[in-house]
Amino acid sequence: MERTLAKVTNLTNDDESQHEAAVLLAAKQGDKVAYKTLYHNHVGRVYALCFRLTGDRGLAEDATQEVFIQLWSKLDRFDGQSQFSTWLHSVSANVTVSYLRKQRNWVQRMFNIETSPAMEMPAEADSSQVDLEALVVRLPQRARMVFVLHAIEGYRHEEIAQMLDMAVGTSKAQFHRAKQLLKTWMGCEDE
Amino acid sequence: MNKFDNALKAEIQRLPKTREPERDLWRGIELSLHSQVSGKADENGLNNEPSGQDKRGTIARLSTKPWLAMAASAMLVSVIWFFSPAFTTDETSGEQPKLAGYALVDALSEQQDDQMTSLLASYDSAPELSENWQAQLKELDDAAGVIKAALKDDPNNRALLKMLKHVYQQQITLIERVHAPKWQQI
Repeated sequence: MERTLAKVTNLTNDDESQHEAAVLLAAKQGDKVAYKTLYHNHVGRVYALCFRLTGDRGLAEDATQEVFIQLWSKLDRFDGQSQFSTWLHSVSANVTVSYLRKQRNWVQRMFNIETSPAMEMPAEADSSQVDLEALVVRLPQRARMVFVLHAIEGYRHEEIAQMLDMAVGTSKAQFHRAKQLLKTWMGCEDE
Repeated sequence: MNKFDNALKAEIQRLPKTREPERDLWRGIELSLHSQVSGKADENGLNNEPSGQDKRGTIARLSTKPWLAMAASAMLVSVIWFFSPAFTTDETSGEQPKLAGYALVDALSEQQDDQMTSLLASYDSAPELSENWQAQLKELDDAAGVIKAALKDDPNNRALLKMLKHVYQQQITLIERVHAPKWQQI
């Protein structure tokens, strides 16, 4: 029974990956209907990443659009060496960081961290009912981006430093800062 | 690893992998891709239009530096125009009445009509470098129409407004290019 189930699951996965490959190939050849399918298959993951990186719904929507507009001309660069979703995730992170840089208040947001309203946020009453997503978006910009890229997306500090144009030490310090803030907000200070 | 690290790791694992945007983002993406295609068609049209022996010479002239300088100046004028106080939505603009919603779209379209009418009038007797420029202009006009239709449903969509401005800018640039005097191409 288990073996049969595994076989069926494998078949389904194979079918899905074959379908994805076909859609991808058609989109690469300029088929907009296929590209729309690709968009619908991946917009949820891309938007989730954009939302965590930007911490703002409007910015995340704009950044998501920017990702898919740029992706259209970047599809040729996908060589199939990795999974498409992994590659798309990396493209999305880079495009979102670039998009945020172009925003008028980028410098202000990156450096005016001490005045962030998030600093005044009270601790969670019950740490067993933590909404980490809500806490992450309230982190100061720089600490949030480093936290999302390192702790959630698995980037190394060296990679993050390059992406965000900062020193490796700064990336580590911002990660530590993010963790300290989350620790306070989650009510885990007394350990 | 301490208790907090473990708790954090567990919370990260629990984070949803996906999140759906609250508005339809595809329409804006599709329009942007459409406008990219129109831009490419515009460039192709300019490079294909002349016939016979004049063709090679014109292509060479189109690729010279004065041509680029002229295109850049046309772009600059358009950019200055688009960011002029009458159209800014910046809250810091102060005394100028702030245009918002579909009123901004109407104002943009009206200004575009005036600009194009005056440009076409000024180039009335100038020779045209391209024969199919009016078809290209129509294509851009169609693109603007589609964007405006989308803006009717979502008048404050910044991405759509940006696209509309981009299409209008392309129209101005196209008219400038096809009517540029030959001496500017040498």
